[in-house]
Amino acid sequence: MKIINFGKVLILLTTFLVSAGFAQSNKVLIINSDNGVFRYETIAVEFKKVLQQSAYQWTELNLNSHVDAEVKLKQLIQQENPELIYCIGTKAYSLALNHAHDRKLLFSAAINWRRLDIGEGTYGVANELSPAQEISLLRYFFPTIKNIGLLYNDKFSSEYVETIKKDALDLGINIVNQPINDAQEISDSLNELLPKIELFWIISDPVVLSSKASVQQIFKSAQQQRKPVYAYSDVYIEHGAVMAISADLATIGRQSASLALMMGKGKMPEGTVQSPAGSTVTLNKCALDALQFDFNQDALDSVNKIVECDK
Amino acid sequence: MIKYLNTLLIGAWALNSIAFADAAAPDDDLEKELAYLAAERQAVGTVFTASKMEEPVDKTIATTTVITQDDIAHIGARNLLDVLRLVPGIGITQTQFGWREIEVRGVKTPTSEKVQIMLNGHPLDHNLQNAGSAWVYDDLPVDTIKRVEVVRGPGSALYGANAFLAVINIITQDAKDLNGVQTSAGWGSFDTQQYRASWGKQFDNSAEAALHFNFTDTNGINSPISADSLSVQGLNSNAPGRSQLTEGRYDLEWQLGYQDFKLDGRYINKKAGAFFGVTDVLSDVRTQQDYNNYFLRLSRNWKITDKFSLDTQIFHDFFSYNNQWQLAQNLFSHTGLEDTRTGGEIQANYQLSDTQTVITGFSYAKEQQDNLIDELGADPQHFILSLHTAQERARRRWGVYLEDVWDPLKNLRLTLGARYDRYNDFGGTFNPRMGFNWEFIKNYSLKFSYGTAYRAPAFGELATANNPVLLGNPSLKPEEVKTFETGIIAHPVAGLMTQATYYHSAVDQIISPTSIQGVTLQYQNNDSLTAEGVELEARYDFDGNLQGSYISANHVLQRSVRLGRQLADVPRHRTNLTANWAFDNTWSSFAHVLIKDGTTRELGDNRNDVPGYALLDLGLLGKNMFGRKVDISFNVYNLFDKRYYDPAPASLNFIGDYQMAGRAFFGHVSLKF
Repeated sequence: MKIINFGKVLILLTTFLVSAGFAQSNKVLIINSDNGVFRYETIAVEFKKVLQQSAYQWTELNLNSHVDAEVKLKQLIQQENPELIYCIGTKAYSLALNHAHDRKLLFSAAINWRRLDIGEGTYGVANELSPAQEISLLRYFFPTIKNIGLLYNDKFSSEYVETIKKDALDLGINIVNQPINDAQEISDSLNELLPKIELFWIISDPVVLSSKASVQQIFKSAQQQRKPVYAYSDVYIEHGAVMAISADLATIGRQSASLALMMGKGKMPEGTVQSPAGSTVTLNKCALDALQFDFNQDALDSVNKIVECDK
Repeated sequence: MIKYLNTLLIGAWALNSIAFADAAAPDDDLEKELAYLAAERQAVGTVFTASKMEEPVDKTIATTTVITQDDIAHIGARNLLDVLRLVPGIGITQTQFGWREIEVRGVKTPTSEKVQIMLNGHPLDHNLQNAGSAWVYDDLPVDTIKRVEVVRGPGSALYGANAFLAVINIITQDAKDLNGVQTSAGWGSFDTQQYRASWGKQFDNSAEAALHFNFTDTNGINSPISADSLSVQGLNSNAPGRSQLTEGRYDLEWQLGYQDFKLDGRYINKKAGAFFGVTDVLSDVRTQQDYNNYFLRLSRNWKITDKFSLDTQIFHDFFSYNNQWQLAQNLFSHTGLEDTRTGGEIQANYQLSDTQTVITGFSYAKEQQDNLIDELGADPQHFILSLHTAQERARRRWGVYLEDVWDPLKNLRLTLGARYDRYNDFGGTFNPRMGFNWEFIKNYSLKFSYGTAYRAPAFGELATANNPVLLGNPSLKPEEVKTFETGIIAHPVAGLMTQATYYHSAVDQIISPTSIQGVTLQYQNNDSLTAEGVELEARYDFDGNLQGSYISANHVLQRSVRLGRQLADVPRHRTNLTANWAFDNTWSSFAHVLIKDGTTRELGDNRNDVPGYALLDLGLLGKNMFGRKVDISFNVYNLFDKRYYDPAPASLNFIGDYQMAGRAFFGHVSLKF
């Protein structure tokens, strides 16, 4: 019995020492582009929860809290000597890239990650779902659709749009894309685009979606031409989108943490950037009925949330 | 009644609440999402630099071409000349001395003194005796270059002297770009070898350092030279023989930064033979040119507020040559001098609003020439002192400039600027620049600009001495050019860029040797010419499975008229066709066709016109191999071994023209650690 107890103590002690040593050598620096932004902060909170459970140490830098965030970042890297830098948002990643040197980088919540400068030892969770997955679902729900249109800004979304076009082509769908330079061009561009398509896709382009007025303009134009709108997030459902497939923010945080743990253990994940693992499919049946737009009833099993008209 | 009112109030409140809740919840979520998108939007800035401020290339009023590091890799460029010859409006030709001429918009001179070459924004016109930068920088190695920006048209309103026909700004890799060690080596025809080593690091205490070392050695193209002035008289001569344009050069560049301070510079040593020689006698290997050139610059950016900043710098430039020229079969000259330019500049950048930025600055410099060497001898081992042909001389100059870049409308940019420069030897010169860029239809922009520029008289033109046939002229005024240009830049479909530009330049007060009293020549401001032309450009970048592939073409139709005649040795047409085919993410192939029109001769030169030609270059590039650490390229220039010629001047009319290189190969390996 004594030997068993001694063994338990030994195992506990060893676990503690290993954990302590492991934690010591696995410091993570979390750089948040702006902790006042809901998406960034939700991801950060979930990320830290997983790290806490795994007894990891971390230091956090919120870029919006410092006038000279770059200097602060340099100081933190020097003081903390983190093995991994986790960047939430494009601003955080762009800044970290300049000062990370040989440290591992992990990112999430960066729009169109393909435009980023991704080096060796850098991993991430994409902000957007896999276009192939989204297009497959769209085709499943709306089998008659052949032409989907989208607006985008070349600087922010060209690589993402290219991927969408390629994946769509593989699935027999034609993407009609229209670049814009600023939101004032939305109305004219939609007037040109909507007659050519059967469905409009709102992608997370920060120039297209620069204000509430832009969003309202999109739905107004679509409504006038009776074209359904599909969106990357369910926040647009209430504004009239017929369907949305949203990446789950909490899952992105946890998924990033899993990657961080793997990187900490020297197990390099497969693929440089993973697509978000969790998603929610929302169908606005009310909007579909109003448009008298047919959809595959068998696909309803795939829907997480159906929005009906208020009675 | 009261009950009824209460019910009504409660009902109204409830309805209001529901309506409010319905409206607020989605709005709140949307606000959060838009806040996120706004944060992402702010994370990206503009990346292109033109006219001393960052602005997108499409928005500038100037005609600008940007060649990136990636473009340079695809081209398989051996040196800066291979890059420049693809730029619309630019042509490269051989001189008898060895260095190359850079023709811009139909105007060229042997020393290319009307083109301002800059390294990381610092002017390189360090040769005060003869002006120009081509002496040392024509064949600059390209492995350490991040970007080359070529702005065609006058630039004196911002950059002062000698930004006359074009400004070529070479931007090299900094510590951030390197972040480790990069090495490369290249070998090719004519026993050419190139080596490069670069190191860069950003330290934790905000210090950063980048060092580049380049070494190049070549035996030159060994062109056959059929005759010289001696051989045609049946006298003892090196002709028929071959050009002796051997070259060895090495350079060291440094960029050291700490907080907002930066210390940068570059040292270059270049030793070269000659293509033909300095006189009309073919040189042998005993003609040796030896150039040393460096600059050292200490700069600091002072960020006063978010909208107001100051850029300050002090600099010291040095240029020297120590050349040994064969003048005749048994006559050699040994000439040398040292030029320095020391000065400083302060520039204020003030963003008046989101749509308007004002730049103003003041610069001062002292230029000095001394340590002259002039010797003559029957052979290089037995020189004796001779009279100086140059003069020890000093000059002071200052300049003040102002530029306003204003977007009164979202699709309209106005640029207005001017600069006044004052020299203690020839006085002052005022150069304005103005123009607009108007996106009149989405993706279609109209550009218009007008500007003037000047070229300061070189010391050699002001004070050539003890030369029996050519005299300096201390009364010279600067050369002047007035240019207006207009063009359309369009993106008709995704991936396609097209541009058409018309320019008209009137060059006056050209400094050239002019006969006085029928026997002696003296530099005078009494020449002028008019150059006009159309530059057409198009580039299409493929997408989808062909992403990374592109085709491009540029064609120039130009007419340069002096004394009612087309300028000699300048083609009327020049075309570049390029195609890059990306097989996958690693391998790509590149093809380039250069088609050059024939050129006419000077008045009184009875030789046939120089025939035009077409050359085909092919290249294969493998990038990011072996864990993104290795790049390999192999290029064939002039694949069909076309025999073609660059024009020799009328003074060498007995030799025909300069035969240029036949088929040539170059292989290149680059490693990153």
